[in-house]
Amino acid sequence: MLIINCPYCGPRDQSEFSNGGEAHVKRPDGSKEIGDREWGEYVFIRANPKGLFYERWVHTHGCRKWFNCVRDTSTDEILVTYRLDEKKPNLNNFKSVVKTPSGEPEVGSGNFTVEK
Amino acid sequence: MKSINLKENQFIQFHQKISFKFDGVKYFGYKGDTIASALLRNNINLVGRSFKYHRPRGIYTCGIEEPNALVQIISEYSEPNTRATIKKIYEGMEIESQNRWPSLENDFGSINNLFSPIFTAGFYYKTFMGPHKKFWKNLYEPLIRRAAGLGKPPKDFKGISNHIHHNVDVTIIGGGLNGLLAAKSFINSNYDVLLIEFEDRLGGIINNSNKISLIDNKEPKDWLKETIQEIEESKNVKILKNTLVTTYNYINHLIAIEDRFVGSKPIEGKVNSTLHKIRTGHTILCNGHIERFLSFQNNDLPGIMLSSSFEKYMCRYGLSPSKEPVIFSNNSNSNSLVYSLIKAGLKPKAYIDSRSGEEIEPNLFDLIRKNDVPLYTNSQIKGAFGNKKIEKILVEDSSGALNEIKCDCLCLSGGINPDVHLFTQSKGLLDWDEKDLTYKPSKPFQPTITLGSASGQFNFDNLNSEINEKLKTFKVKKLDVKLELNTNTKYNIEKLWEVSPQKKSLWAKSFIDLQNDVTTKDIRQAITEGFDRIEHLKRYTTNSMGTDQGKISSINALGIVSDLLDKKVNEVGTTIYRPPYAPLSFSAIAGRNCYEFYDPERKSPIHSWHIKNGAIFEDVGQWKRPWYFQINKDESMHDAVQRESKNVRENAGILDGSTLGKIEIKGEDALEFMNLIYTNSFTKMKQGSARYALMLGEDGMVKDDGIICKISDQHFIATTTTGGAATVLGCMEEYAQTEWPNLKVFMNSITEQYATFNISGPKTREIMKKAFPNINFSNEKFPFMTFQFHEFNGIPIRILRASFTGELGYEIYIPSNSAPKIWDNIQSLGKEFGLAPYGTETMHLLRAEKGYIIVGQDTDGSITPIDLGLSWMIGKSKKDFLGKRSLTRSDTIREDRKQLVGIIPSNKADKLEEGQHIILDKEIKSPVPMLGHITSCYYSSTLGHDFALAVIKNGHSMIGTKAYASTSSMSTTGVDIVKPVFYDEDNKRLVS
Repeated sequence: MLIINCPYCGPRDQSEFSNGGEAHVKRPDGSKEIGDREWGEYVFIRANPKGLFYERWVHTHGCRKWFNCVRDTSTDEILVTYRLDEKKPNLNNFKSVVKTPSGEPEVGSGNFTVEK
Repeated sequence: MKSINLKENQFIQFHQKISFKFDGVKYFGYKGDTIASALLRNNINLVGRSFKYHRPRGIYTCGIEEPNALVQIISEYSEPNTRATIKKIYEGMEIESQNRWPSLENDFGSINNLFSPIFTAGFYYKTFMGPHKKFWKNLYEPLIRRAAGLGKPPKDFKGISNHIHHNVDVTIIGGGLNGLLAAKSFINSNYDVLLIEFEDRLGGIINNSNKISLIDNKEPKDWLKETIQEIEESKNVKILKNTLVTTYNYINHLIAIEDRFVGSKPIEGKVNSTLHKIRTGHTILCNGHIERFLSFQNNDLPGIMLSSSFEKYMCRYGLSPSKEPVIFSNNSNSNSLVYSLIKAGLKPKAYIDSRSGEEIEPNLFDLIRKNDVPLYTNSQIKGAFGNKKIEKILVEDSSGALNEIKCDCLCLSGGINPDVHLFTQSKGLLDWDEKDLTYKPSKPFQPTITLGSASGQFNFDNLNSEINEKLKTFKVKKLDVKLELNTNTKYNIEKLWEVSPQKKSLWAKSFIDLQNDVTTKDIRQAITEGFDRIEHLKRYTTNSMGTDQGKISSINALGIVSDLLDKKVNEVGTTIYRPPYAPLSFSAIAGRNCYEFYDPERKSPIHSWHIKNGAIFEDVGQWKRPWYFQINKDESMHDAVQRESKNVRENAGILDGSTLGKIEIKGEDALEFMNLIYTNSFTKMKQGSARYALMLGEDGMVKDDGIICKISDQHFIATTTTGGAATVLGCMEEYAQTEWPNLKVFMNSITEQYATFNISGPKTREIMKKAFPNINFSNEKFPFMTFQFHEFNGIPIRILRASFTGELGYEIYIPSNSAPKIWDNIQSLGKEFGLAPYGTETMHLLRAEKGYIIVGQDTDGSITPIDLGLSWMIGKSKKDFLGKRSLTRSDTIREDRKQLVGIIPSNKADKLEEGQHIILDKEIKSPVPMLGHITSCYYSSTLGHDFALAVIKNGHSMIGTKAYASTSSMSTTGVDIVKPVFYDEDNKRLVS
């Protein structure tokens, strides 16, 4: 289980939080004309990378605040959490893509315990 | 085999006798005995039948790695698959062997052994395919389940478990020599340290073998006592005994289970296990090593045992399972068994080593020579033979000649492996050691430190330097322990995985996984059939998939596979070790979150009244809601619902609607916020009026509905569905924080603060007048869809004129504490008008007659407001709201979308059912194109026949046509597609 550092409450157990998917997905401005494609991408399309990922979380069983984080999806390590009104950190500031848990191939199941 | 008791020791006292029953027969053991040691004391070695072939099996090990000796503890709710090698006996314990019928000695299932040549890897996958898929479910599976398997599930298990959380700096796993030394160096440091030992005693190898002769010039026993005392007296090191770490998760999160009743019967109602959830800064793994076995013909016979286990029985339990065992080894780890046997005045019947004479340690050589033990070097055991126990072995010596040796016990050692399970669970990487022929921890992924044999240090010579080096970061005091050993210090092993049988036979079996009955032949076959990746091979053969996870055999399988594929073991890789390390019971995981605490029950303030008045309850989310009220025990649900609904249509009914979600929205920008959340426009809405509103997802699909009361532009109260309350509040908070943080708006749940009564029916106005005499309920003063605040006997109440039944109706909102009083008052005043309570089923029937939808029943996340015929609820002039743009997507404007319609049977006497498919043709001829399905269906006494709501393709334009509803008996019922309103279409009853 992860420990997540809520920007408002401090480090807490993962069970207090809910995941909200990719962060920094901008909702198209409803007062303007929105194309089918633009809207469709906003509603249905999300990134699913292996490696560093901007992600939203909410402290459901705590302060109920939403916040963002950078998580390495291959190691589950949460590198930084920050408030919604803070600037999004540059991914280059983090040690590239952290080596995957067991030196597994970049794409794959992660089912290896020896170095490939 | 005949066992003998050795000298008493600190663990076993021969005057403390304990009686227990095995398969109904009474035996005696001593306090401190495990089931296995007690059985061995009574010369019992046949303890179970194997999983697939029902072969006789005995006690193979002396610890948690045991693959064979699994028993059912009858005296503990029939707990199955208990490892006899770790479970301690107590007075009156009842034990049964598993997977045999009618008895362990004469097992009918052993006939499987005769057919074994066909039961090879993949047998089930290939064989039980036809002739019809029903054969699997009804014939094959029940048969196979009966024949194969482990113990029987417990019948009435009520184990209680507690959960304890720890937050420490360092966790040391394993209280053996290295664990104790590590703990010792942390004494009086600034670190909070947890030392976890699986057994009931600290000491590990010091207790279990005669390897060590002196520590710091003291008897190991005495050194151990002093060290434990030092640790126990320290303020910062806590010891947990009888605690097994089963899981090593991310972020140094450990799960460990503590047995609270070691050596005694669990007391009913008392906590029998504790689940420790440990968050630690560093984890120090000192969990030692596991000895592996060797494969040869019949290497599963009772009487065959690992050599270090034999030694453990001698040192820990004062018991030699046999007077003269034969030892077969390919490495130096069995040296200390020879030493222990001779020290105890016994000697091995023969010592067989696959290594050559030069490789065998000189001190072992001397010992064997001096005591006239027959020695076979460069030799291998070709097979073991006997009826339900080992009787003789066949040894091929260095000249290739075959020697038959009669024996009652064979001790095996195929080398040792660091216990890497926890290390790999933590995602650490392993590396193959060509010299020691085992996987050893190499790169940790987390702050994990491995010490001693757990790190692959099989020699004691760099004990101090390893600990000092690896604990350097902690800046704790350095160790300088002097160790003297009885046997060699250098670990030495020769490669040997399998000895091929002397005679080729279809029935010759060399096992590679004892618990799952996998033979080396199965491995060969799997590779021939193309399953040459180790993970595939594991699943195809079920090798190492038993509850022991192949602890004594999985590395052997890798060795065999690497030889067969002519690859290095490192290239073959190893299957991943997954938690838990050993099985742990569901009751331990569940802890206190079971029975009444499993899921909270939410009850309305009127709940006790409902119970007194014959309510039958229905679960709606976590809420208990009255489903219908029985006026007497004989009244059926159908009768009750028809009676209740008729009464609402003719007189008046009252429903407890307290469970409806209620959310209060306040703030400068509340109006703008509500306009963005709901489809409706609230701008022109008057203060004090209410509106039925829809909430969509961004995909344009209906997510929730409710009534919005506008108190002012800065203050709204929204109701939600009973099940959707938390989601709707969550959604509002999300958008307020993430998309529109510029809006000044706050929201809060007030569901539990207010009770809600829904009163409806033609006589409601009279009842309301009587109940609240100071309020004017006339149509002019209190029109439909308006609300008013009042005070009644000092209680602030809000009354909303709205209806979900189609009749004149009011909803009364009352602070929960005052609700029962007012409810009682209305009940007694309403009697003369025929007021009666009704439940959710009647509510559903009445609303369906009016064509009102229930979100989640008539919608399923793929229905837009347009599909429901509710386009009038969409604030088209609004620039934006949740899901607005999606309502003009190409998919949502398709004409053939499923749309809500009404359905009545063409022949009014016909019955309809929820879930029935609506089709076009009377004849069912495959393929049958489906138009849609019935979402709600009831019998209406008002209409006098069944009616239904349905979503069907292009439904709106099909109104007025005929179709068919398919039935479960492959016939059809003719139906008319009609408008989804069956009662009072002009809303006259509603608004008058």
